[in-house]
Amino acid sequence: MTGESPVGASGGAPGDIPDGPADIPGSTGAQRLVRARRLIRTRRGGAAVGLVGALLAGGLGTWATDTWPFDGRDRYCWGAWEEDSGPGILGDDGFEGDDGRGRASTGTPPTSRDARGECRLTVASSHTYSDGDKRRQDTTVTVKYGPAPEPAADRVTWLGGYLSGRAMPLPDGLPGVADGTRGLLVLPKRCDTRDGRPTAVTLDAKEAPDPDDPLPDSPQLGGSQAVAELLVAAANKGMEAAGCDGGKPLRVSGPVPTLPERAESFPRGPVCRIPGLDVEADLDKETAMRLNYQVGPVTDDLQSCSAEIGRSLRLGEREDQHLFDAVMVREPRIAALLDGAAGTKAPGKGWRGTGTFASDHRFVQAGCAGRPTSFLMLGTPTGATSEYFATFTNAVARRLGCAPVAPAADEEGSRR
Amino acid sequence: MSDVDKKGDTGDTGDTREKPLGVLAAAIAAAPPPWWHWRRLRRLARQRWTPVVAAAVAGVLLGGTVVAWQAEAGPFHEERACWGALDEDDVADVFHGKRDIESSEVGVSFDRISSEGPSGLCELKSPRGMRVRAQLHRLDDRFGGAGDKWADEYLSARMAPLGGGLLGMASDTRAWLAIPEGCIGRPSEDDGPLVIDMEAGWTTYDDAVDTDERARLARAVVKLVNAYMADQGCDSAIGDPTDRLAAPARFLDEKRDAICGIKGLGLPGKGVGGRYDRPLVTKGDDAPVRTCDRDVLFGHPSLRLMTVEDPRLAVLYKGLSFDGGKEVKAVGDTKDEVRGRGFLREDMGLYQASCQTGEVTFLVRADDGRRAADVRRLLPRYVALEAERIGCGPLRLVLPS
Repeated sequence: MTGESPVGASGGAPGDIPDGPADIPGSTGAQRLVRARRLIRTRRGGAAVGLVGALLAGGLGTWATDTWPFDGRDRYCWGAWEEDSGPGILGDDGFEGDDGRGRASTGTPPTSRDARGECRLTVASSHTYSDGDKRRQDTTVTVKYGPAPEPAADRVTWLGGYLSGRAMPLPDGLPGVADGTRGLLVLPKRCDTRDGRPTAVTLDAKEAPDPDDPLPDSPQLGGSQAVAELLVAAANKGMEAAGCDGGKPLRVSGPVPTLPERAESFPRGPVCRIPGLDVEADLDKETAMRLNYQVGPVTDDLQSCSAEIGRSLRLGEREDQHLFDAVMVREPRIAALLDGAAGTKAPGKGWRGTGTFASDHRFVQAGCAGRPTSFLMLGTPTGATSEYFATFTNAVARRLGCAPVAPAADEEGSRR
Repeated sequence: MSDVDKKGDTGDTGDTREKPLGVLAAAIAAAPPPWWHWRRLRRLARQRWTPVVAAAVAGVLLGGTVVAWQAEAGPFHEERACWGALDEDDVADVFHGKRDIESSEVGVSFDRISSEGPSGLCELKSPRGMRVRAQLHRLDDRFGGAGDKWADEYLSARMAPLGGGLLGMASDTRAWLAIPEGCIGRPSEDDGPLVIDMEAGWTTYDDAVDTDERARLARAVVKLVNAYMADQGCDSAIGDPTDRLAAPARFLDEKRDAICGIKGLGLPGKGVGGRYDRPLVTKGDDAPVRTCDRDVLFGHPSLRLMTVEDPRLAVLYKGLSFDGGKEVKAVGDTKDEVRGRGFLREDMGLYQASCQTGEVTFLVRADDGRRAADVRRLLPRYVALEAERIGCGPLRLVLPS
């Protein structure tokens, strides 16, 4: 080194000790060995670099898109619902208690051969209060995929059940309704059965009664928005399984509309502001004080009104006494579920259109301002209440701008 | 190298003896080079741990860049206007693709006792003078509030409903949309709805609405509402409403017995307006209001006949229905049960009826008291015919003497 230094001062690369002379011995056998070693080294190096690069890219992509593939999220109901995907019941909020949490689903999806499917999601937990009281949660969410029930009477009560009460239409013209515990969605025409009946997806949530709890609980799924999202997710998966998905999945576009008004607990005047529906006048004074009504949607496509007598704690009543649910529906796809259910005869003397009066429901279908319109009322008519259906039907027909459907026997109904 | 040469030179001049010079030169040459010397650096690069350090540095740089990208900071910082709702493309959409738009805003905030709901302001300005303002506010239901000037402009006959069950309308200069109740809940009974509205200046009223401009505003107001909802934790966004918008309203050639195109609504004598005074009537199904304006100057009509069908807007006139003028009643009112309430003044007649759909407001308003006789004649006829149209009939008013 010292001897080389003066030479180095004039340039060159004296400090650069080439590895060549040290590594390359004279013999050809050793040379071959080195080459092989180099090849391995470069290959291994290349592989390592590639692996690191792949991991980095994958990780980066995962982070950027916020999708971690190994998070172990469970899926339920034909894989339609994913844990923590939004609706309350699929997340932590779905459990009411802290102990014994469990969420599972059973059931089979529809197939292209048998376009009927069912799924049952059960959510259970329990909670022990500080005073030793124990409460159990046992929520069941049932989803059904398939055509409406065949018997006409069943179909009317089945559909009426979903349309009545607190149900509101789904946003952006999606043909269906939802409230906090129930929902119904009619699938596009391409999913109709071979004989032309529409296929629907329904959702029903129930809370198993707790023997210790005096009042029945209502299941908490996360509101009507959650129900709408669950419904649409199940519908998309069901259509896929049944082979009628049109490529573009359905989606809930925008918030589900809220009820136009609160339940009215001190009504004055006609129930649901439907002229002539003076339920109060038919009740004794004490009961009339407990009359409640809820106005549902009032649109060109759907209208509903439900009335009940609030429970009297003084009389030890546990449940509200349901009076009636009145519904008008002419949203084309939803109304198509009732096709053929009205029969061929008028439901009663003087009625326009066709329909049936049964012990637990009344149903009439008639043309109204150019569109087939269905009116139905659930509930057991007694005495004075038997006139309510005629009053409701004619008042709504008038609102829609069409001729009376019920015979104008009742003076109140024709007054306005 | 030059270092060595220099020292050599010094040696040459400082010491003339031959032998010691050679020794010195050798000593200098043998001395270790300073730390910055290329030889050292070269050697450094050959160290085993160097690639590791290099990789670490590269990794840190890469990581920092990616974090900046994710956080949209530094060179990746994206300007988002109007409470973070509009990105550059969205703003460009409003301004015909121009990207040199300045934005300023007052963030969304509450007053101290939160009595007036959240509010916020935003202004977008192009260097060519076009200006678009957006505002988040709760509609003021007090006297002279949103029922007055706001309604003049934002419920005008030039506005088309956004449809799809939304409470909102748009024209080429104005757009408004209420934040859906499904997200933020229902306002309390005496509060107006929370809306975001946009104004883009004025245009000649006589011109038909420019549907292209209207679509830009409609899209923008939906984006603003979607962003506000996302902030509130509602993740189902409203879709593009532009396909649903009705064709713009056209001025009507009015018949004498069909004022505002309402058959049967007439006035004795010459009628309401002259030959050049054609009315404009709201177009589009399921509009929250049906407005008939005539002789409009800067958004203020000289005579307006309006039916506010959507009960969510009824609150704007709720205060008014108790205020001023003489009370108007309806045929069939009893002591316990009334069809609604209203009043008649020289410049204005109003009736708010309880219909199956909820509270519906009927309004006849002139810009001053010179048309008191017309207002008085028009109100009962207008209410009767409109109530029939919307399915709230029969409704016959009894005017105060």
